[in-house]
Amino acid sequence: MRYRTQSVAYAYFVVALLLYGLQMVFGLLAIVKYLGPDPIKAFLPFDVSKEIHTNVLIVWVLTGFMGATYWLVPEESRTELYSPKLAYWQLGLWTTAGVTAVVGYLFGWTEGNKLLEQPMPVKLAIVVVMLMFLYNIGMTIWKVKRLTTTEAVLVAGLALTAILYLPALLTFDNYTVSIYYRWWTVHLWVEGVWEMVQGGLLAYLLIRLSGADREVMEKWLYVIVGLTFIAGILGTAHHYYWIGVPSYWITFGGFFSALEPLAFLGMAIYAYMAMRRSGLAHPNRLALHWTIGSAIFSALGAGILGLAHTWPSVNKWTHGTMITAMHAHMAFFGAYVMIVLAMITYAMPGLFGHDQDAGESPTGLWAFWLQMAGMFGMTMAFAAAGISQTYLERILGLGYLETQHKIQVHFLMVFGTGLLFVLGVALFLFDFFFLAPKRRGAPPAWPAVPAEAKG
Amino acid sequence: MTKRQTRAFFLGSTGVFSLIFLAATIDSHRQFPTLTHSDQITPEVVAGKHVWHRKDCINCHTLLGEGAYYAPDLTKIAEQRGAPYLRSFLTDPSKFYNEERDRRLMPNQNLTPQEIDEVIAFLGWVGKIDTHGWPPRPIIVSGSTIPGANIGGAVPQAASNDPVAVGQALFGQAPPGCFGCHSTVRGVSLVGPSLAGIGATAEARVKAGDYHGKATDATSYIRESILEPNADLVVGPTYSSNGTSLMPPNFHETLKPEQVDAIIAYLMTLK
Repeated sequence: MRYRTQSVAYAYFVVALLLYGLQMVFGLLAIVKYLGPDPIKAFLPFDVSKEIHTNVLIVWVLTGFMGATYWLVPEESRTELYSPKLAYWQLGLWTTAGVTAVVGYLFGWTEGNKLLEQPMPVKLAIVVVMLMFLYNIGMTIWKVKRLTTTEAVLVAGLALTAILYLPALLTFDNYTVSIYYRWWTVHLWVEGVWEMVQGGLLAYLLIRLSGADREVMEKWLYVIVGLTFIAGILGTAHHYYWIGVPSYWITFGGFFSALEPLAFLGMAIYAYMAMRRSGLAHPNRLALHWTIGSAIFSALGAGILGLAHTWPSVNKWTHGTMITAMHAHMAFFGAYVMIVLAMITYAMPGLFGHDQDAGESPTGLWAFWLQMAGMFGMTMAFAAAGISQTYLERILGLGYLETQHKIQVHFLMVFGTGLLFVLGVALFLFDFFFLAPKRRGAPPAWPAVPAEAKG
Repeated sequence: MTKRQTRAFFLGSTGVFSLIFLAATIDSHRQFPTLTHSDQITPEVVAGKHVWHRKDCINCHTLLGEGAYYAPDLTKIAEQRGAPYLRSFLTDPSKFYNEERDRRLMPNQNLTPQEIDEVIAFLGWVGKIDTHGWPPRPIIVSGSTIPGANIGGAVPQAASNDPVAVGQALFGQAPPGCFGCHSTVRGVSLVGPSLAGIGATAEARVKAGDYHGKATDATSYIRESILEPNADLVVGPTYSSNGTSLMPPNFHETLKPEQVDAIIAYLMTLK
């Protein structure tokens, strides 16, 4: 930690990880309800579990992004934060808004608009938080007038995230029109400006971890975010095919969605080439795991598995089936969860006041591999469920309920692999909250690879 | 390539594609009224949309294929089920499905009769949106559009004494095996005619000039068709042969009168 005010990131990471834990609880509840019958549906029905599962995800990933930015900007601009106090107030308001939303959902206080369920007062609080955040970051950079490409891409991504939240405040009587603008927020976040955030954080981590040349890394960063927007902006069309829009959106969607994997593949190649060229010498090998993992997992989950069902003649049959759940879980985890966990893992030794050598612990490695294995298994189980559902329900014409009955075994697999995943998350939290603070100053006394893994 | 060039590539391509996106958005707004029949968005439809959001329906169901995957898609539900069935279902879903058997049951949303009518009006409007032919085949809640497709599946049992629920279960049981020849989905013709909209069809048949049976209204026409299939023949490739209906002629012996009543009650809800 080179700048004292970088420690603001710690508070953000604490909130992010606690919410990550909460997200797991509601994810497990949701899949148990798929197995049914559901004895608690009267006071906690499926829709509430699902709503909290997805909303908490968005909130904690954004908390992670903001914490990571507070960590990164002082280093890149070589100055202290403009106002750490404002950053803490911002986190307080943000957490209050988030907790209010979750408690509200439990009591049926919702706008019932997928992923944008936040009631209007919460939405307005989110806007205020975004403005506080951008003001603080903007003033920090303005103060010294030093802006690197890496942080420019990251901050621009977050500023655009704030701007693209504005359509979420609008309501329309025409359901088709309201879906049309809902995707401006949802799609252009996750398949647009959040990729700028991911790209910025990835570039920062690769430069720090591999010692790759900054000029080269930043040059290619522009190419990657350029590809993201070429494909991503008109790729929004793959959400529009069947909702009542003009038919040219089908052509747009088919063509530009097919290009969407390019940006993600670009990121994977980017990370791989950085490693090839500059080696893996950095002592924080756990942060390397998460960084490279994010580049590879997002290429698979967001790139390849997205392409698996965006082609119109495929999507016609798979639209609205578990195929979407297959893609969404691996994409979100690979692109956004893993990059935040990479930043947390990278910053951890600094935040806890010991040197980088203490970055790798057996618990941390187990947390990494269990989450990898769990998410891979869940993705496969969702894929099996989705493919079966598509054939039975959509092509063969079997009723929804009969189909769901026949694919129960895949939900059981989601549950089993989900447990592995949750165990990985629990170990990550345990490491962050209990083990890492104690490692202060102590040289690593453990082998680089867990004894169990060596067999 | 220099960093300056790659930055120009990023800014230039983002600008160009944003402009195309905005232009297409403006054009879409020009076409939304036609594609979505926006003149049919009555205050009742808007009120139904609010019910839809307030009750968080989208976090279990899909509509236009969007939402959660825990409950069936409802894009065409108003056309498939019809208002009477939906009204009865939304008043108490547990009359129609059994959680032990179906694994899932919609929690009662405690809607007022007015809210129920509003949400049905909303779903009716959604069903008319031009979706470019999606879904390509009807997505149905339960049963099958192809006889015998539910191989190894459980025989449907009524979840309550509600005549419609009893009739629906009987329809899917063998005997009487109605589902083997009749679909309940519009346009899916099996051996016999599709029974979607049978109430309206029966009503029209009774009033037609070439009708020679004894029925006076839709209900009595359907009863006559079940018990005396030859009283009035509907023309169709596999519906009859040499002036004799291919419908089994012995339902007056195999079905109890109350069973016939239940089946009729169910069929009358098909729109």
